Amino acid sequence: MAELAHPATGAARTHAGAKRPWIRRDMLVAALFVLPGLALAILFKLVPLVRTVWLSLQETRGFEDPAFAGLANYRTMLDDPAVHDSFRNALIAFATLPVWIILPLVLAFLLFQKTPGWKFFRAAFFLPYMIAPIVVGIMFRQILAPDGPLNALLRTIGLAPLAIEWLNGPTSALLSLTAVALWSFFGLGVLTYLSGLSTVSEEVVEAAKLDGAGFWRLLFHIIMPLLKPVIGYWAVLCTSGILIWMFPLIYALTKGGPGTATVLPEFLVFTTTFQFLDRGLGAAIGMALFVFVALVSAFVVRRMYVEGAKPK
Amino acid sequence: MMNPTPFRTGRRAVRGMLAGLALASVTALGGQAAQAQDVTTIRVLNWEPGGADYWKALVAEFEKQNPTIKVELETVPFDRYPEVQGPYITTKSGPDVMENNAGLELFDRRRAYAELPPEVLEAGKDLITYSGGCLNFDTTQSCYGLPFGYQGNVMYYNKKVLTEAGLDAVNPPKTWDEMKVACDKVKAIGKTCVAIGLSGIFPAYWNFPEIARNYLTEDDMRAMLAGKMPWTDPKMVNVLKGLASITEAGWTNSSAPSITMLPDGADIFQSGNAAFAGTIISDAVNWAAFGKILGDENLGAMRWPTIVADAPLANSFSGIESSVFGVTEWSDKKDAAFQFVKFMAGKENAELLSKVAGGISLNKNVDPSALPKSEALGQILEIIKKPTLHAGVLLSGQEADALARGWQEVALGRLTIEDWTARMQKALEQSPSKRQ
Repeated sequence: MAELAHPATGAARTHAGAKRPWIRRDMLVAALFVLPGLALAILFKLVPLVRTVWLSLQETRGFEDPAFAGLANYRTMLDDPAVHDSFRNALIAFATLPVWIILPLVLAFLLFQKTPGWKFFRAAFFLPYMIAPIVVGIMFRQILAPDGPLNALLRTIGLAPLAIEWLNGPTSALLSLTAVALWSFFGLGVLTYLSGLSTVSEEVVEAAKLDGAGFWRLLFHIIMPLLKPVIGYWAVLCTSGILIWMFPLIYALTKGGPGTATVLPEFLVFTTTFQFLDRGLGAAIGMALFVFVALVSAFVVRRMYVEGAKPK
Repeated sequence: MMNPTPFRTGRRAVRGMLAGLALASVTALGGQAAQAQDVTTIRVLNWEPGGADYWKALVAEFEKQNPTIKVELETVPFDRYPEVQGPYITTKSGPDVMENNAGLELFDRRRAYAELPPEVLEAGKDLITYSGGCLNFDTTQSCYGLPFGYQGNVMYYNKKVLTEAGLDAVNPPKTWDEMKVACDKVKAIGKTCVAIGLSGIFPAYWNFPEIARNYLTEDDMRAMLAGKMPWTDPKMVNVLKGLASITEAGWTNSSAPSITMLPDGADIFQSGNAAFAGTIISDAVNWAAFGKILGDENLGAMRWPTIVADAPLANSFSGIESSVFGVTEWSDKKDAAFQFVKFMAGKENAELLSKVAGGISLNKNVDPSALPKSEALGQILEIIKKPTLHAGVLLSGQEADALARGWQEVALGRLTIEDWTARMQKALEQSPSKRQ
């Protein structure tokens, strides 16, 4: 027994005497998993961000060496009506967010209810998302032309007063741009909502129907509360889509015109940096856009996603 | 001795394969290196002035003359060129040769180009002019590129539409008043008088110079280039008023504020729905392209009607060396790249330009009889005999952008000339290349 006990005591002593490792094995494994992502985030997010902040404090003259200018670019930016216009346009575009959220939801719910033709429409709705935005822009430049097919159709069916010059008016141009973006993007929303709807129990829906709930009551009182986290996710995605993914459409459809009617901040960053060769000012506008998107996204996340994710 | 286990045999096989792979790679790389020594490939960023057929012939001729150099083209549409070129210059990487409009664009971007060595610059002496590749349009200063074709603005007209409107197709309008009468008649037959697109850089390059000639002298234009001509100057305000009068008078297509001249505006003219179109003499959308579609017999070319008949430059031609080709500062194949630039300015390319693209070369050694027969071309050759500076290329990127956007809004009745003037002045003050 003593012989048996001895090794055990020795082992215990060995354990007690051994130095505690400076990092636990599970922590090390976790760190190894996190490290590549962290390195990529630092390299491709943080470093460019810091460089942009630094560049925004420089005065640049074409391709000559920049000189430190303090906050001069930010002052220029604040005085520039084009910058004001671009952020105003961004806010107007952002105001259409409810449509971006509701429209795909309604369509997804129609598909979910196996409305006649649902199989065809499930594929058809997703098709626009698969067309490159630059191609979508070129297509709609033709479609929305004063003598284009849309106006021809409107005139043919007796709706001539609606055949306006879509891309000429300050409001109609921006709304046309946003509508084209929505057309291009909504298929993804339908797909996102469908995946969320697949988790909704058919029994719940059937029970509500038996209780006399119609389409809209079902949608607003049963489906939407159940899909709140998905709606939150989609809202955040749309917010970034509206604010920072519109560039190819603007480029191909309107080039920001007429005037600055469809210039969004991201387009202004590009033209200022690469067309006007004013990299310092472009970086300052880019920083303002970053702050703007961060604030708006934080608002949307707070309102839609966090609340949606609350335990019921 | 232990028998090798299957695992060990496998490891040996893997080692063998790796060694074989390494050997193959070394051989392949060696082969590539040997090939690289023989043939140098240069990348040329361009917007294909003169069309695809001309560039195909040009590259074939160059490679025939220079069998050790291979040309790889990176072709970008003209209206998107600055957006593609800008990032290359900012990152100091990319093509070995780049095309640029002559003038301030090159001046703005001169740090991206290597100065031409004397033996390349020598080729410029065969050209009518090559100042557009040099600082301040001055050949005694540093030069960064050589041109090959002559470029500038004219107004094309469709004789068929003029006749249909009851106008004399042989005597198109020469003054603004005559233009007004003509446009009224063209509008009366339900067609657009002047096809135009106000989006992008076209208003600055294709329209602005033609109005500017009515109010500016060459000294004024040089002051513009130096950033010493404020937009608040009455002469400059008059230029803006002249531009605005085109759209305010209703001469243009209603889609003008939201379309680009190329391709949309040119399409309106080519489709026979417009009487006039202000474009250029060479490279793209020229007399050859319009003649092919409308029929040479239906196409005429004229100087833009004058607003101020006795202005010193009213009857001049806003001419400029077309594009200029230069070697990028970052290229590690400069010798081969300079060889290409020299070829572009040479006689062989000049003949190709005339024969294949119908362009008008700057090279003095080209036989004029090599040019195709066309009435519009004949008219152009007369017009270009009295050249002046091209005011459009003297604008900075900011000014060109503000000019187009301002005009769009003026056309839609949402901006006054005073506000447009203020915007232009602000654009001038914000132009890095024109800051004093």
